[in-house]
Amino acid sequence: MSALPSSGGGLAVGWRVPLLVIGMLSLLAGVAAGLLRAGWGVPLPDAALAAQHGPLMAAAFFGTVIGLERAVALGRRWAFLSPLAAGAGGLLLIAGAPPFVALPLLAVGGGLLTAATLVAAARQPALHTRILALAAALAALAPLAWLLAARDAAIAGWAAFLVLTIAGERLELSRFLPPSPRARAVFVGIVGALLLALAATAANAAGLRLFGGALVALAVWLLRQDIARRTVRQQGLTRFIAVCLLSGYFWLLAGGLLLALQPPGPLLMDAALHAVFVGFVLAMVFGHAPIIFPAIVRVSLPYRPRFYLPLAVLHASLLLRVAGDLAGLPDWRAWGAAGNALCLILFIATMVAAALAGRAEAQRKTPA
Amino acid sequence: MTAPPFSAEQVHAALRAVVDPEAGMNIVDLGLVYGVDVDPPAVRVSLTLTSPTCPMGDLILDEARQALAACLPEGWTQDIRLVWEPPWGPQRMSAKARAHFGWDGQ
Repeated sequence: MSALPSSGGGLAVGWRVPLLVIGMLSLLAGVAAGLLRAGWGVPLPDAALAAQHGPLMAAAFFGTVIGLERAVALGRRWAFLSPLAAGAGGLLLIAGAPPFVALPLLAVGGGLLTAATLVAAARQPALHTRILALAAALAALAPLAWLLAARDAAIAGWAAFLVLTIAGERLELSRFLPPSPRARAVFVGIVGALLLALAATAANAAGLRLFGGALVALAVWLLRQDIARRTVRQQGLTRFIAVCLLSGYFWLLAGGLLLALQPPGPLLMDAALHAVFVGFVLAMVFGHAPIIFPAIVRVSLPYRPRFYLPLAVLHASLLLRVAGDLAGLPDWRAWGAAGNALCLILFIATMVAAALAGRAEAQRKTPA
Repeated sequence: MTAPPFSAEQVHAALRAVVDPEAGMNIVDLGLVYGVDVDPPAVRVSLTLTSPTCPMGDLILDEARQALAACLPEGWTQDIRLVWEPPWGPQRMSAKARAHFGWDGQ
């Protein structure tokens, strides 16, 4: 008997892995495009790909992995079409297909994610499942905004897609220590403000300031309400997840402040967006991969203290990058961006090493 | 029937080894174990998750199966199922879990 037999989930594990690999290709191309933008001479199949860094990371990579996670949770085969569409959209971008072909496919991936989330929301009608469905709908709209050259709206849309997905999941976990009715009302108000600000970004550059303000409010809410404040006092994996979350909330706060206040700085947007997408979103990914990967591809990833290493590199390199952006030091930005890429490599290497250790452990437990 | 006595308490004790890593608390105290039915030589368990958007269902089921398999008497069978009705709510948590998460006055 294998330690982790496949027992459903709508699609055999053997088919989930290729989807994950397709998503990783978007990540690879997206990171390469990002390094090129930061001034590194990274070879790319097409230098024009540098302009597609955002769609590759937010829509193709995150669209694929979040779609996969949701499809596994739902356990319906059609739901896997969402990560397939997002992954295929990413591959088309990498292959140099025109944006009017690739971006609608990314939007379709978001649409299918919305459908899958709505089915889950019907199983359990609750605020958190509705927030997740709302976030998914933004994943469907943002690629279309990008196609229509509404760049601010697209970028804010992707940020809101990821931020609300995480916030919805944290709200779900907050039921272990339920927020007061007033705190819930504040949460709904913040989400409403975030959506209004998002709509404003399509019309006026000042929309980004409002959007930043809403992110600040959300970060403060999460810092106050999240059970991570409690679970950080535990040990092992539970503490590691909490440290990832709490450190991520500080970056969300920083990114929101930068967008809201718009201090003078030659590369303000680079600083603000990477505070949100790298500091907040990636820290969240680092924390949750050790529990989400085992659910998706059925490998066990036993916790090791070395999980903290990629997280430390993430925060240190991002600090360097943001400082370089704001002070006008291109070298700092370039090295910070390289450190951001390095933390991803370290993270993947750490997870692979943990998977191998987990397999060896499982074999010891169940001698054939 | 010569099967040794085996109680629902023993099933609960075994399932306490299954921990939600995010919450740092076991599934019994979280109130995720809805039903334990001991009918020698078979054990039936129904479990739920806090949310249908949680992808960890299969994993938690597998861990519960392994935990139970390790303590079931020889020749017994187990049937563990995931159920969604009624939806989980925080009132299902034990006093220990509530204290763990910092509920006041519990």
